[in-house]
Amino acid sequence: MHVLAVGAAAPAFRLPAAEVAAAWGRKGGRGQAAVCGADEDVLTLAAEAAGRAIGASGLQTDIVDGLWWGTSRPPFAEGPSHAVLAAAIGLSTKSGGALCSGSAHAGMEALLGAADAVGSGSARVALVVVSDAVVPGAGTAFEERCGAGAAAIVLVADNGPASLGARVTRTHPYLGRYRGDGEAATRDLYDARLFREEVFLPTMRDVGEQLATLDIGAWSLPDPDGRLGTTVAKQLDAGTPASSAVFTQLGDTGAAAALLGAAGALDASGTVAMIGYGGGRATGLVITAERAVPGAASVAAILADGQPTTYAATLRARNQLVPNGETVPMGVPPESAQLVRGADEILGLLGARCVDCGTINTPPSIHPHCISCGSAKFVLTPIARRGVVHTFVINHTMPAPFVAPLPLAIVDLVDGARVMLQVVGSGADLRVGTEVELVLRRYIHERGVPVYGYKARAVPNEESA
Amino acid sequence: MSWNRVAVVGAGLIKFGELFEQSYEQMASGAFDAAVASVDKGFDPSTVETAFVATQRGSLWGQEGIGGNTIPTALGLAGIACTRVENACPSGSDAFRVGAMAVASGVYDVVLVIGVEKMRDKSSDEGLLSRAASGHPIFNRGETAPVLFAPFATRHMHEYGTTREMLASVAVKNHYNGARDPFAHFQNEITIDDVLKSVPVCHPLHLLDCCPQTDGAAAMLLVNALRAREFTDDPVYVAGFGVATDHPYLHEKGSFTSLKATTLAAERAYSMAGVDPSQIDMAEVHDCFTITEILDIEDLGFFDKGKGGVASIEGETSLTGSIPVNTSGGLLAKGHPIGATGVAQLTECWWQLRGEAGERQVEMRNGYALQHNVGGRGSGVSVVNILTTHRT
Repeated sequence: MHVLAVGAAAPAFRLPAAEVAAAWGRKGGRGQAAVCGADEDVLTLAAEAAGRAIGASGLQTDIVDGLWWGTSRPPFAEGPSHAVLAAAIGLSTKSGGALCSGSAHAGMEALLGAADAVGSGSARVALVVVSDAVVPGAGTAFEERCGAGAAAIVLVADNGPASLGARVTRTHPYLGRYRGDGEAATRDLYDARLFREEVFLPTMRDVGEQLATLDIGAWSLPDPDGRLGTTVAKQLDAGTPASSAVFTQLGDTGAAAALLGAAGALDASGTVAMIGYGGGRATGLVITAERAVPGAASVAAILADGQPTTYAATLRARNQLVPNGETVPMGVPPESAQLVRGADEILGLLGARCVDCGTINTPPSIHPHCISCGSAKFVLTPIARRGVVHTFVINHTMPAPFVAPLPLAIVDLVDGARVMLQVVGSGADLRVGTEVELVLRRYIHERGVPVYGYKARAVPNEESA
Repeated sequence: MSWNRVAVVGAGLIKFGELFEQSYEQMASGAFDAAVASVDKGFDPSTVETAFVATQRGSLWGQEGIGGNTIPTALGLAGIACTRVENACPSGSDAFRVGAMAVASGVYDVVLVIGVEKMRDKSSDEGLLSRAASGHPIFNRGETAPVLFAPFATRHMHEYGTTREMLASVAVKNHYNGARDPFAHFQNEITIDDVLKSVPVCHPLHLLDCCPQTDGAAAMLLVNALRAREFTDDPVYVAGFGVATDHPYLHEKGSFTSLKATTLAAERAYSMAGVDPSQIDMAEVHDCFTITEILDIEDLGFFDKGKGGVASIEGETSLTGSIPVNTSGGLLAKGHPIGATGVAQLTECWWQLRGEAGERQVEMRNGYALQHNVGGRGSGVSVVNILTTHRT
């Protein structure tokens, strides 16, 4: 099984550990963790990483046969998590794959599942996405280091720049870090010493020593608390693992950690070993790169890009700090007909191009007639994902659950379509003429489920033409 | 060619404001009484044959499905024909148009047009602001009323160099007028600095760039022009009207410096009345936000496109300017009880045409007054009514 390309994504914000420590009356707090804004989650991170991997592979999304997604905690506890992500990535409605979840080990399960599908011939092109944004219990010891991020990898049978090699799995039925049935947040370890000495280190040694018999150039090792990773690396004589930079930037990214820690190391030829741990299981996998894997070179820059945030804002985004009283419900409930009719055009960003005058009408379902010429003849088309701000506002006055400031922009896309969308961020730097790209975001979390759509995000200056 | 088959013989309103102590029905009754009392030669309420009631959001006072039957009972007229007219912010002005057409058709001789709106029975968060969560789940999410107009301010400033001071001058002028209108919600004058320093509501609009949420009611009595002299020796006539629509979503707009619905409605009203903008002596226009009045006075043809900001700050729209606008204080100072707004604006026009506007009276050289509303999702509907003292 060969690797065609990789991609990565990190959320918008970085929370200093010291802020969390101070809030709980603790001294210190080292480093930072990547945390989601209110409009980000495991699915938006997964979509962004997948888009980058597919972009780096040079493939069209419609030839991907399956999506294997690993995450501790899918956005719908029960629901169309996999289907929504597949639609947002633009995969064919005939694509297959699997959603692996339930612990941070889910990332390795997705990767091995996809590899087996390619190996067996049931899929020619497999897309693997691993993402996590675990909600740590407030005040837990691992809260300071609990991060978020995503990685993606495109697998094919042969002719890729890298190939998958040996794999090792060990399993032990111990309860480590977990979330109880119906609970909103992940619990702390019962006893950190017990976990370290009897669960984590023995398992790592078991798996790691098997892999270490090969000639490993770079390691991606788990580091659930900011200290255990160093101990494991010493045990395996692994030096400074390739994954340590990821942990420094993002903290523990759970199910995404193993692949995220390895992805950057695929930038050059060599052998990379990764170990994923969670839920009483540990799996190691070796990837050997013959040459640089497309997408690997940009991983470091993606991880480094983040804005500082506060503990209060993080708690609000995680729905752990909620306004008193009732909030205004969305006029169109998430399960309603409008979102059944509109799902494809919202997630796939579709427009209706008028056959007679060329005007792109968005969204198609509310435009039986062209806004420019009145014609009823259309061709459905994905609209462009880049454009410039024609005009904008920043809304400061809305009832809960809205949080101000909320910028909204009228955007002229490069294909001539015009859309109005919310804008990522505070809008402080927004101007008429600002170049933006459209990115998937979580608009609402209501009735226990997310609703996704696109937002405009300013393109960094160096990227704009 | 004039169109003079309908006369307005009575008009009145209640003091606008936060009327927590009054019910919807009491407000309606107060406005009707004021209109009846305004008829020079007296008016027997039982002569009303039909009523058109404008209420835009019954949901704001707990009547989600309000129809036509609440008003007649509140006015002691149970049994008469009554129809509710809902057409967004122009609901009141459209009810007036529908009432005028009912008279012009010859079916009715005496018609009541009444606008009533309770804006403050629900909290601000639960009231109008809650529309941030209504409409399309993605493409409108966060779209409160200011979001419908603030993008026009951003773009007007970008294209024409309109400044926040120019926007503010609209609020200053309308508060000056409102301080001279006993029916206005706000009775205080403000300065440009007050507007600039007020809290941001929806960039680039700040609090004093925005109209308040106001309870209110207004009523007018329309009769067949041939019977006008039974009621008054100083009737005012309906010269013309125009209604137009535009696309309902902001991203469907072709321009963010002009409201197409206003332009079209105005063309139709001017054509029907046989006048041009230079013949209008005063205008009551839709100033839900300061930028809206600047768009209006350009789109209605009083000033060239892009010049509305300069005209405003230079006083061209003041009581003594070349075209006095919003002599009543406008929506910004008098208030915007949605269904009542258009009827109240027309009442101000009626007073100005009859020389009854007191301290606010402007010089009526040609005998024409114009009233305008624009609103709805994407400012997609506009109504323009033109009143005149001319019979022929």
